[in-house]
Amino acid sequence: MSVDTMVIVREVWDTRDLVGQVLDDTGNIKADAVGTRFEPEDLNALEMALRLKDAQGGKVTAISAGEPRGVDVLREALYRGVDAVVRVNADPLALDDQALAEAYAGAIRELGSQGLILIGTTVLDGENSLLGAHLAAALDAEQVSWVDELEEATPERAVARRAIEMGTETVEVPLPAVLSVGVALLEDDPRSPRSAKAMLKLKMKKVDIPAHEAPAIEAVTKTAGRAAVPERVIETRAVDAESEAELKSMLDEARKGD
Amino acid sequence: MADISVFIEVDDGVLNDISLQCLGAARALADGGVVRCLAAGAGASGIAADLFARGADEVKVFDDSRAAAYTTKPYAKAVIAWLNEAPPAVALFGATTIGNDLAPSVAARLKTPCVLSADGVEAADGGYVARRVEFDRKVQTAYAPEKEGLFIVSLHDGAAETPAADASRTGEAVPLSVELDDSDFAARVLKRDVAKKTVNLKDAKIIVAAGAGVGNAEGLAVVQQLADALGAEVGATRAVVDAGWLAADHQIGQTGATVRPDLYIACGISGAVQHRVGMLDARKIIAINTDANAPIFKVAHYQVVGDLKVVIPKLIKVLAA
Ligand SMILES: Cc1cc2nc3c(=O)[nH]c(=O)nc-3n(C[C@H](O)[C@H](O)[C@H](O)COP(=O)(O)OP(=O)(O)OC[C@H]3O[C@@H](n4cnc5c(N)ncnc54)[C@H](O)[C@@H]3O)c2cc1C
Repeated sequence: MSVDTMVIVREVWDTRDLVGQVLDDTGNIKADAVGTRFEPEDLNALEMALRLKDAQGGKVTAISAGEPRGVDVLREALYRGVDAVVRVNADPLALDDQALAEAYAGAIRELGSQGLILIGTTVLDGENSLLGAHLAAALDAEQVSWVDELEEATPERAVARRAIEMGTETVEVPLPAVLSVGVALLEDDPRSPRSAKAMLKLKMKKVDIPAHEAPAIEAVTKTAGRAAVPERVIETRAVDAESEAELKSMLDEARKGD
Repeated sequence: MADISVFIEVDDGVLNDISLQCLGAARALADGGVVRCLAAGAGASGIAADLFARGADEVKVFDDSRAAAYTTKPYAKAVIAWLNEAPPAVALFGATTIGNDLAPSVAARLKTPCVLSADGVEAADGGYVARRVEFDRKVQTAYAPEKEGLFIVSLHDGAAETPAADASRTGEAVPLSVELDDSDFAARVLKRDVAKKTVNLKDAKIIVAAGAGVGNAEGLAVVQQLADALGAEVGATRAVVDAGWLAADHQIGQTGATVRPDLYIACGISGAVQHRVGMLDARKIIAINTDANAPIFKVAHYQVVGDLKVVIPKLIKVLAA
């Protein structure tokens, strides 16, 4: 029995191993200091939807908010095998998660989804909070966060395994439901990677991406300022791994205290 | 002076320590105002005395047998009913898998601002700001409400001190009155599989932590031997826990424990930011890694570039000598 799935996909800051200054003089994120990437947990959500489709059919729609040229994630989603894409005409950087959730919810309502809605739980980085929870509230749908595995999905219900502190929980929810997907799924990514040439072709390919016009929604939370965190300055010492004498003095010193 | 409300997580009669830290933060933030707690979960009424002793002025209890296991809707409804009884300036939640699921759900339903996993919240310019370190720990962002009104914030583990108990502070807990019907319990927890806590990383003086670099059970055994030789506890990265080499209670980092031992020995750990946030306040850090460029070396006081299967036996040998 097939279930239709909507997946929210986002392009977000790539905050791994940043070097140098991240802020400009006005306290904004320097665009050239921080790249962007496909939100890795959204990628997990997308993979979860595609695996469900491979196994039992159903239509997968990817939705992303952004400018017409700013939604490469939708092209990527098409490449990976979704059936349809929708762009929500809203600026994710100008809205908080609550306002953004309203915009996404509007598109989902218009598309008439009564099935599964998947989204990454997301690493908190320049994201104010968890979009999935706001989205579930906006749709008055059930929600499960930190989902690592979808164990079962029928048109009426889903059974999902979620990660909790020190273990897991298996939760059953009636549909429609928003599942916020965690990090565990995508160990091997069968639909990626590919050559730079293929990536370029994907970027240049003409695709018609339908847009959903989001009504103006006011944000309730604002960024009140950003400040650079001073580098941690610690005294570091290279210790020769070959030298037992050095290793010994290291252990003695480190255990002795200051 | 302001009223602050704190959501207190109770699991089978056990109080979550992060919730207590939130209570401590609330007491400071209230600055003479009223601090209200909602103790929620199975066995919640049993911990009320402890909450009063640690700084609560009022305690409500939500212990509905149908909601013994957390699901979003009934908890969100209960919290909203509680917040509406006596609207506070700020409502604090622990940034746990419950708190971070619940806080935005409540905020979205109340259309009120929300910040998750903050490092702290403070009064500023007649309102409040919540701060969070982001962008690979390079940027601290301050978030504030657009308008006056309730501000919902979750605090991560270690954001505040656990307040000490004062036995002279007492009070009487009152059950929360909230109407829940069957439709609120449409989501059901079918199964729960949680590791028993076998290690106490928080109080450990020395932690020897294993990363994916241990490679296999044999590599892990070497780490265990070093821990034994030092009288240390064994910690782990998520990679090691996900691989099933150690139980989840060993995990250190963003989704594990936050530790501050005197000595932390990182063995075969790359030092991803999600791991570093859990250990970088250790007084001394030794890192052993084959990759001289591993990010863990940036926070390590002692950098040992080498194979842990060779280095650790040497360490054990010099300790025995
Ligand atoms: C939302 C989220 C939450 C997370 N929460 C946590 C968390 O709480 N805790 C956590 O730890 N991670 C967490 N992670 C995962 C984190 O991003 C990293 O993936 C993880 O910490 C990596 O673990 P590792 O260092 O053991 O493995 P790797 O990154 O694979 O590193 C292994 C290291 O071992 C070295 N090595 C290999 N062989 C040897 C050898 N023989 N001797 C010495 N060194 C060797 C390698 O050079 C490498 O540096 C989280 C991730 C996300 C997205």
